[in-house]
Amino acid sequence: MADQTNESGGEGPRLLEHEYDGIREYDNPMPGWWLLTFAGTVIFSVIYLFNVGPVGNGKGRIADYEAEMATAAALQPATPSRPAAAALLAMASDEEAVEEGEEVYQSYCASCHGPDGGGLIGPNLADANWIHGGSPDSVYNTIAVGVLAKGMPPWEKSLTPKQMSEVTAYVLSLRGTSPTNPKPPEGEPYTP
Amino acid sequence: MSATVLPPSGAVASARLESFSYDDDIVRKFLWATFIWGLVGMLVGLWIALQLANPIFNTSLEWLSFGRLRPLHTNAVIFAFAGNAFFCGAYYSTQRLLKARMFSDFLSRFHFWGWQAIIVAAAITLPLGFTQAKEYAELEWPIDIAIAVVWVGFAINFVGTMLRRRERHLYVALWFYIASIVTVAILHIFNNLSMPAGLFKSYSIYAGVQDAFMQWWYGHNAVAFFLTTPFLGLMYYFMPKAADGPVFSYKLSILHFWSLVFLYIWAGPHHLHYTALPEWASTVGMLFSVMLWAPSWGGMINGLLTLRGAWHKVADDPILKFFVLAITAYGMSTFEGPLLSIKSVNSLAHYTDWIIAHVHTGALGWNGFLTFGMVYWLLPRLFQTPVYSKRLMELHFWIASFGILLYVVAIYSAGVTQGLMWRAFDATGRLAYPDFVETVVRLLPMYWLRVAGGSMYIIGMLLFGWNIFMTWRRRPATYVVPVITAPALEKRYVPEVVTTPRPVGVWARFAAAGWHRTWERMPITFTVLTVLAVVVASLFEILPTFLIKSNVPTIASVKPYTPLELAGRDMYIAEGCFNCHSQMIRPFRHETERFGEYSKPGESVYEHPFLWGSRRIGPDLARIGGKYPHLWHVRHFNEPTSITARSIMPAYPHFLTKTIDFEEIQSRVDAMAMLGVPYGDAVNRAPQMAREQATEIAAEIERQGGPSDLADKQIVAMVAYMQRLGMDIKAIPTTVGVRP
Repeated sequence: MADQTNESGGEGPRLLEHEYDGIREYDNPMPGWWLLTFAGTVIFSVIYLFNVGPVGNGKGRIADYEAEMATAAALQPATPSRPAAAALLAMASDEEAVEEGEEVYQSYCASCHGPDGGGLIGPNLADANWIHGGSPDSVYNTIAVGVLAKGMPPWEKSLTPKQMSEVTAYVLSLRGTSPTNPKPPEGEPYTP
Repeated sequence: MSATVLPPSGAVASARLESFSYDDDIVRKFLWATFIWGLVGMLVGLWIALQLANPIFNTSLEWLSFGRLRPLHTNAVIFAFAGNAFFCGAYYSTQRLLKARMFSDFLSRFHFWGWQAIIVAAAITLPLGFTQAKEYAELEWPIDIAIAVVWVGFAINFVGTMLRRRERHLYVALWFYIASIVTVAILHIFNNLSMPAGLFKSYSIYAGVQDAFMQWWYGHNAVAFFLTTPFLGLMYYFMPKAADGPVFSYKLSILHFWSLVFLYIWAGPHHLHYTALPEWASTVGMLFSVMLWAPSWGGMINGLLTLRGAWHKVADDPILKFFVLAITAYGMSTFEGPLLSIKSVNSLAHYTDWIIAHVHTGALGWNGFLTFGMVYWLLPRLFQTPVYSKRLMELHFWIASFGILLYVVAIYSAGVTQGLMWRAFDATGRLAYPDFVETVVRLLPMYWLRVAGGSMYIIGMLLFGWNIFMTWRRRPATYVVPVITAPALEKRYVPEVVTTPRPVGVWARFAAAGWHRTWERMPITFTVLTVLAVVVASLFEILPTFLIKSNVPTIASVKPYTPLELAGRDMYIAEGCFNCHSQMIRPFRHETERFGEYSKPGESVYEHPFLWGSRRIGPDLARIGGKYPHLWHVRHFNEPTSITARSIMPAYPHFLTKTIDFEEIQSRVDAMAMLGVPYGDAVNRAPQMAREQATEIAAEIERQGGPSDLADKQIVAMVAYMQRLGMDIKAIPTTVGVRP
């Protein structure tokens, strides 16, 4: 592109004849890099449309999604290992684990089961009755897979196995405490 | 201002001289409206920014919650601030570029007062919850009709002025005005077609995928033909005026104008990447957006290079500073637009604040600064006295520039942060941030920075207002109205004297653009060609979207909402829940892990209007149905923080006290049935059906330990709607379920 900045005298850009309310226009050519950019985007679009090589939709968004899911599934164990009942029981008397569990409980569980486990939207966790089993591994299982029909989410999607064990330990430690507003017992009594 | 214009060389000597004056009173009116509505729109913006930073700003008044005020902010800034600015500049420049007073002083005033009345109507109805739930097209049908009428008045006035012009050719600014006026009319009318179900309630005649397509065909082109082309037109007039130099390239004007007008129309579907929109539409939207990059930059080049050899003026002219920053912001956001339209980039940015940052670079930088520069240039000419303070202009420039920077840097980081948090998995294959609220509270520091940046911009706005006010106060007792004399246009065109040799060869003659010069002296032909470019481009996408059945495979188990659920959905619309919650799960592992099976096109077939949303300040709700017990929703709506301690959602305690108007539900169901939704028996007994379902839900809430008096309260309709969402395809196996 020739230098056309010179306005006064000599080689300058050509001014067009017309004038609108004092505004005039140069007859400058379009910048070459601009035309190339424009052409480049058009060429890119054609290549993309015909799905050439790595440019284009590939197999499409649904196929890509299914591939993504398959890759992830291949990396996951078919059934996650579950902690043993004895280990969970031991944790229930480990102060540190219970404390960690309480922290998780207060952020995720308290809104439905009450801050002291007395029950609210969900059932009372401090009494002796259990709807889905009161053994340490049943409690863990209920936390992990949830009870979708009643609105208890499957927490294994959100919490780590360690966190779920700690919450289980905390819930077990609630047994026999006296919450301020206890919900009436639901389900079957469970004796450890 | 030249008072006399000599006939151009080569004109017939016998040309009849005519005397006339320009209508600057209407320009002054629009100038005041620009400032006042701009300030209002920005203050509402600041208010909703505070609501996101701390939900306490939602107050306990239902009319002031985020969902109702957010559309007020967008509408005020786009249609009231930018709209009045466009009209202000267009009325000033059109008369001068055509050497003619506006065709009708009545139509000018009808346009002004009509537009202001529409804005007032918007400011009243949006907080009341009257909305069509389509972004930037929220206003209900009576106001839509008013907009169409006022706009047609403007168009007649504009075309009439062109026909009475005394300047043979149309300057490039006018091409952009023409494109804006006709395209906005087309977009507005076709996106707003709806079935009324009462004075302030209607349902879009389109449903689901088609409604989404039409909405973003409109929505994207509202950006194009309300915020881009009108302002390019203004730039082409006010930039060379302020810089006192010629425009860089006439040829560039021609190519970038036509390519912009033709390509922009296709780009809408890039707002719907990875949604249930057919993939071909998404691809076309992306490619046309990529191809828009150069045409958009054509405007930037022509604007900035007009300053060639005049850059030294920028240092001491605040008006040029405003223009330079405006055009730079335009260049940045029109580079970012194509970038965001690329599917992989969009997969990160969609639903996040990245988009909010992008539009604010455009609105605050391009539209705002171009308006400020233009108004400062107009002040001494309209109020016929020097501008009150140049130092205040400088201060306005720097404080507002810094405000934009603070705003966008904070919100870009918020967008990228949230996008990355959503898609992060930990080493065990679990979502790294499974708790949605974690990805929201992380943004709060950035939201406070936005408040700071926005406040600076508003302080600049106050300086702007002070300068306008003080200049106005110093106006003369009566304005001088110069009498202009110019020759009338000859009936027949006499060719200009050509001083340059005629180019040789077909290509050279084409490149010399003589053919375009011909179009420029035929305003009606030019307008028709513009309409053709826009309509043809639109039909290429619209026809397949509506006609190809395989775009939306039907799902037999998808049924219309029950009358009560429909009433709940209308509440969801009225509260503007769609401003924060999407109902569209994209086919990504991180989305399906978080929200459930990805959304299918067939699920939206009865969605008049579609409620897919565009931003996730809260989680997606497409599959919220059945996830929580009724009581969870009751407590959550009443006080969200009682369920999620760090939630920033507004509380809706009035749902628990206000009663449902059961009789009204009939008219809603009837309107839906008229749109073809198979309502069967419900067209005869909607209120009764709604009462029955309400009683059942209320009993279940009570059984779960909730309050006992809810059977006629709005919360029951809302719970009914929530529990229905995403349930119709539950027969299809999903990844969520109880392990056997």
